[in-house]
Amino acid sequence: MKQAALSVHKLNVSVRSASGTVNVVKSVSFDLAAGEVLALVGESGCGKTKTAEAIMRLIPHDIGQAQADTIELNGVNLEALPEKRMRDIRGRKISMVFQEPLTALDPVFTIGSQLSSVYRRHRGQSKRKARASSVDMLDRVGIADSRRIMKTYPHQLSGGMRQRVMVSMAMACQPRVLIADEPTTALDVTTQAQVLSQLVGLGHESGTSILLITHDLGIVAQYCDRAMVMLHGQIVEEAGVTELFSRPQHPYTRELLAACPGAAVL
Amino acid sequence: MNRENSSLLSVRDLVVRYRTGKHRGAELTAVRNVSLEIEAGNIFALVGESGSGKSSLAQTILRPRTAESGSVLFHGEDLANISKSGMKKARKNIQIVFQDPLASLSPRRTVLQTLTEPLNHFRIGAAADRESRAIAMLETVGLTAEDGNRYPHALSGGQRQRVALARALVVEPELIIADEPLSSLDVRVQAKILDLISDLRDKLSVAFLFVSHDLSVVRQLADTVAVMYLGRIVECAPAGEVFSRPAHPYTRSLLNAVAAPDPRRPAPVVLKGEPPSPLTPPTGCVFHKRCTEMIEPCSSVVPEEIELGEPDGYPPKSKGAINANHRVRCLLWRTPNA
Repeated sequence: MKQAALSVHKLNVSVRSASGTVNVVKSVSFDLAAGEVLALVGESGCGKTKTAEAIMRLIPHDIGQAQADTIELNGVNLEALPEKRMRDIRGRKISMVFQEPLTALDPVFTIGSQLSSVYRRHRGQSKRKARASSVDMLDRVGIADSRRIMKTYPHQLSGGMRQRVMVSMAMACQPRVLIADEPTTALDVTTQAQVLSQLVGLGHESGTSILLITHDLGIVAQYCDRAMVMLHGQIVEEAGVTELFSRPQHPYTRELLAACPGAAVL
Repeated sequence: MNRENSSLLSVRDLVVRYRTGKHRGAELTAVRNVSLEIEAGNIFALVGESGSGKSSLAQTILRPRTAESGSVLFHGEDLANISKSGMKKARKNIQIVFQDPLASLSPRRTVLQTLTEPLNHFRIGAAADRESRAIAMLETVGLTAEDGNRYPHALSGGQRQRVALARALVVEPELIIADEPLSSLDVRVQAKILDLISDLRDKLSVAFLFVSHDLSVVRQLADTVAVMYLGRIVECAPAGEVFSRPAHPYTRSLLNAVAAPDPRRPAPVVLKGEPPSPLTPPTGCVFHKRCTEMIEPCSSVVPEEIELGEPDGYPPKSKGAINANHRVRCLLWRTPNA
């Protein structure tokens, strides 16, 4: 068996709220194989995003706490790493695409400066080299006119363009693992098809494993190899995509499929 | 004449322009010569990508005086040249439901206050009965009288959208303009609201102008579908017709881009390029730059809207008689008698 690119064992996340501590992720374990596209499916509030943030170690201490037996990336336990080392890994070995690119991109820096900074920080490239790499990367995510786009600010771009910029930043270092959190939820169908096929295509090229968080069963069926269904912080079903759609086991999975027009239900 | 009277709402040759850019020097045409007819009790879906002008069109129906040209007729009466009392009456009969109920419901009013407000404004029913009317409407949309005492923040997204629908329905309108009412909801909740809308249409015989970018939703709900691209309606037909025999290449691209929730179905086909900017629209057919079936005149000739008759060799696989009322703007089709 191939070694898993990412292996999560017994992850728990609790969040502090006015009414006390709430466990939003409960004992979640899974392996993400090398080169695999794995879906994490569930409705809003089920703990999908918190799972992703916990893996990236992005949950601030004053908001909540993540705890796991192990979160292994390529055999390295991220749980045990000091924050300084984690910063080297984030964006280089494991990166993330967020749902809303306009809040994830910095409004006061140009696309070019934000994208080049990835190459300078993680690859130690010179300013000039980093710019060239950036233009090249923008071309690869299907941005025509990439030189002009380098000089623009996030607010000047359409939603689809911004998300493509996010994808190019996340894939710039050819990470082992990419976590994409509802990357196309805010986009039109046509743009969605463009962004997802580029995302999955780039993943194949660079051997990146993708954890794709979504609530859209169409995306699961068409772009993923395997899927996990999450309900109230727990993974209630995990199966290959063909299996999941033809023989859903958990009542909740069946309910999701039944609510989805065009899904083949038993 | 008779046909005009049969339509609940008819939009004629509507043009909506905005002034934008530095010193408002640039002119953006959001809606270009759009005509459509909505029959009583019908669900009319307006589909298109963001920026296609569907929201501009929907909103201009409620404030037709802001249109550059064209007219909006409600029961045959021109809403732009109507008396004040006539407009007030029309406003009662045309209600709107927005995409984000949390933004459109007042945070400081209980659900019941939100629902009785329009009844008070239009002086519907006796003052004493208004509360019971509002509660009855809450029950119609699947909420309880208790929910009436809650504030929007205490409700879930699905419940809020039910309140928004109840708020629109409580004055017994003839037409509801629903601008992406399901986009902020989870699939299971979407399915429930969808069922509710088709129930309401049957029960209260209210018509909907349903603005959406989600074709799978539209497929389940709509009687008629109009597809918009860059301010133009490029295809308009009964829903079954649009999905079984899409006539415009753009409609086909939209349908093919949807990720089908079934792994055995073919993968989505990527439509290349981005929608052009409405500030600098392409000449000729608005879609020609992204069209895979473009022919030479497409870049210069603006296609007229034609009603499909027997196909003149295009598309090759079309079988059976073509339904009347299937209209398309595409040069690949020729008028039947040309």
